[in-house]
Amino acid sequence: MSRTIRLAGIAAMLAFSLVFLGAGKNASKPAVPPKAKAPVIDARIGVISILTGQGSGYGEAITNGFKLARDEINAKGAVRIQLVIEDSSGKQEQALAAAQKLINSEQVAAILGPTLSTEMKVAGPEANASGVPIMGTSTTAAGITQIGKYVFRNSLPESLAIPASVGMAVKKYNIRKVALLYGNDDVFTKSGFDTMKKMAEDLKLSILTIETFQKGQSDYKAQLTKIKGLNPDAVFCSALYEEGAVILSQARKMGIKVPFVGGNGFNSPKVIEIAKDAAEGLVVATPWFADKNDPKVKAFVARYRKAYGKTPDQFAAQAYDALYIMAEALRKAGTSDRAKLRDALAGIRNFDGVLGRFSFDAERDVVMEPVVLIIKNGRFQVFQ
Amino acid sequence: MPFDWLNPYHLQVASFIFINILLGASIYVTLSTGQLSLGNAGFMSIGAYASAILTTRHGIPIPIGVLTGALLAGISGVLVGIPALRLRGVYLAIATLGFGEVIRVVFVNWESLTGGAVGIAAIPQMGRETLAALEKAGFSAASVGLRNNQFISLTVFLLLFAAALLSILFFLRLSSSRIGRAYAAIRMDEAAAEAAGIDTTYYKVLAFCQGALLSGFAGALFAHATSYISPADFTYHRAVEILVFAVFGGSEHLLGPVFGGIFLTLLPEALRFISDYRYIIYGALLVAMMIYRPQGVIDPPLIRRLAGRRAAEGAGR
Repeated sequence: MSRTIRLAGIAAMLAFSLVFLGAGKNASKPAVPPKAKAPVIDARIGVISILTGQGSGYGEAITNGFKLARDEINAKGAVRIQLVIEDSSGKQEQALAAAQKLINSEQVAAILGPTLSTEMKVAGPEANASGVPIMGTSTTAAGITQIGKYVFRNSLPESLAIPASVGMAVKKYNIRKVALLYGNDDVFTKSGFDTMKKMAEDLKLSILTIETFQKGQSDYKAQLTKIKGLNPDAVFCSALYEEGAVILSQARKMGIKVPFVGGNGFNSPKVIEIAKDAAEGLVVATPWFADKNDPKVKAFVARYRKAYGKTPDQFAAQAYDALYIMAEALRKAGTSDRAKLRDALAGIRNFDGVLGRFSFDAERDVVMEPVVLIIKNGRFQVFQ
Repeated sequence: MPFDWLNPYHLQVASFIFINILLGASIYVTLSTGQLSLGNAGFMSIGAYASAILTTRHGIPIPIGVLTGALLAGISGVLVGIPALRLRGVYLAIATLGFGEVIRVVFVNWESLTGGAVGIAAIPQMGRETLAALEKAGFSAASVGLRNNQFISLTVFLLLFAAALLSILFFLRLSSSRIGRAYAAIRMDEAAAEAAGIDTTYYKVLAFCQGALLSGFAGALFAHATSYISPADFTYHRAVEILVFAVFGGSEHLLGPVFGGIFLTLLPEALRFISDYRYIIYGALLVAMMIYRPQGVIDPPLIRRLAGRRAAEGAGR
């Protein structure tokens, strides 16, 4: 018995030792001195992103966008931003630990990220309780900014994207009866579907059927056969591009020729790469259009290509704009104090970024006009 | 503030360590009868969802929610265990892994109860609830020299520490009891154990139920530590992660998975400074383990050496 108690003691000591590790180190770490009157505002901004594991493709684009924006902002001189980037590897526990580290060890002024809505639902309440502004750049699910008054986002939620694409398509194609298809095990596609269904009901469309699929599925023939038999005017599909492209390809092969209408998740050049000709006629709504005829967008795309060798996607563009919004708020606040920065952020209106004109609403959520795109002749074009 | 060194980040990581210790112990309990069950992620989700739904939607206090969640997981352990334990070895592993996936798919599709893929948000967090309750009684964190977020993290840390410590002590004591001896006998040779008069089915189901109960308990605590759960938390990856605690730490002594849980939670955090490469080291370490120490870091001879030396030191003093 005394032996087992000793063993338990060793285990407990191991666990406890962690808490005291590096304890002294933190106390001496200087927080960034808020220089209220100095012309240059220094700020440490924390970033939580997926750098390893599944989803690190998003994380890479996002951190690239941040780094490009940081270099440009620092070169201008009014605000000097230091990024502290932490990995969450897409896991909620890790996102929470990273947020705690940024808030308490790194003493950042604000946090950008995390990447996924599920991560935000864990990290957001913690940042909010600690009084640290946190802004999601890719979190699109419902109920994010409702977490608390320190939680922001600049990513277009599906609840704005889908009404735009659905509304436009219904008007142009005179759609009366629709089939709905969505991935039911993903927060993003599920939120998108909820909006789609509501939109269809509001427009008094008759919903012929609602079909579901799961992440990573590769055969959609069962759902598509049923849809084909019902002969809808259009298919509203809430999917990420990985599944969406395969669905399109199989649907066209089975002879479903009606338009497909998607949300923001469908918006990726990869859809055309995977589905090829089958992607023709897909309608999506997005905040980001790389071929937009706007000097700001063109300059950003050119600089991004030069730095990273590829065209920026919407995640890079949203991250890029997010840091500019943060810099604007820092400039307005005149300090990197967390509470004042929050108030300045909440006051951002009519900010002109690469995504277009952007404002926060009273609930710190996004106000902007999405662009509706259609795939024609193998590339995304503005749907008119 | 006198306690400035008390960093919520370190407390947070330690809290996840305690949850992982419970999960590591849960897979050990079934392993101690020689059964490999990979359903722990499924049982964990039952505990987490039961407690989350009861506390969030029906206003039940957290302790009752956690206990109900654990019990529910234990009961489902018995229900699954009775038919599943007719299988052995890899077949049992596959069946239990399948069970875990079935549970997850049920949670994805039972939208009216679980919110589907969107999950359950705003679950009462044990630290924040404790502080709120104490503040109502006129207590403030500042009066003991702590900031609010320090107090919250410290509460979570202490509660989970107590939960992990009590569970470990219970199962350490169990291993030298009548039940523990029966488990060990079944593990070594089931036929011989049966011939010696041990009711093998009873003990195997009991071990399965204890493992499920412990997973459910850990899951419920997880829900009240992170305040958000979704079916994506309880996938096949979680089951494998729990298995790795046992494989890495050692599966022949309870302290093996406990060590695995501590070390493998700590490692990715300690390696944060090399961000992009940290999981490469994690993987390389597992491969190295398989080659040089296939039984895991901690095995009974090591325990005897450690405990023996410490006992000798104690006697010498």
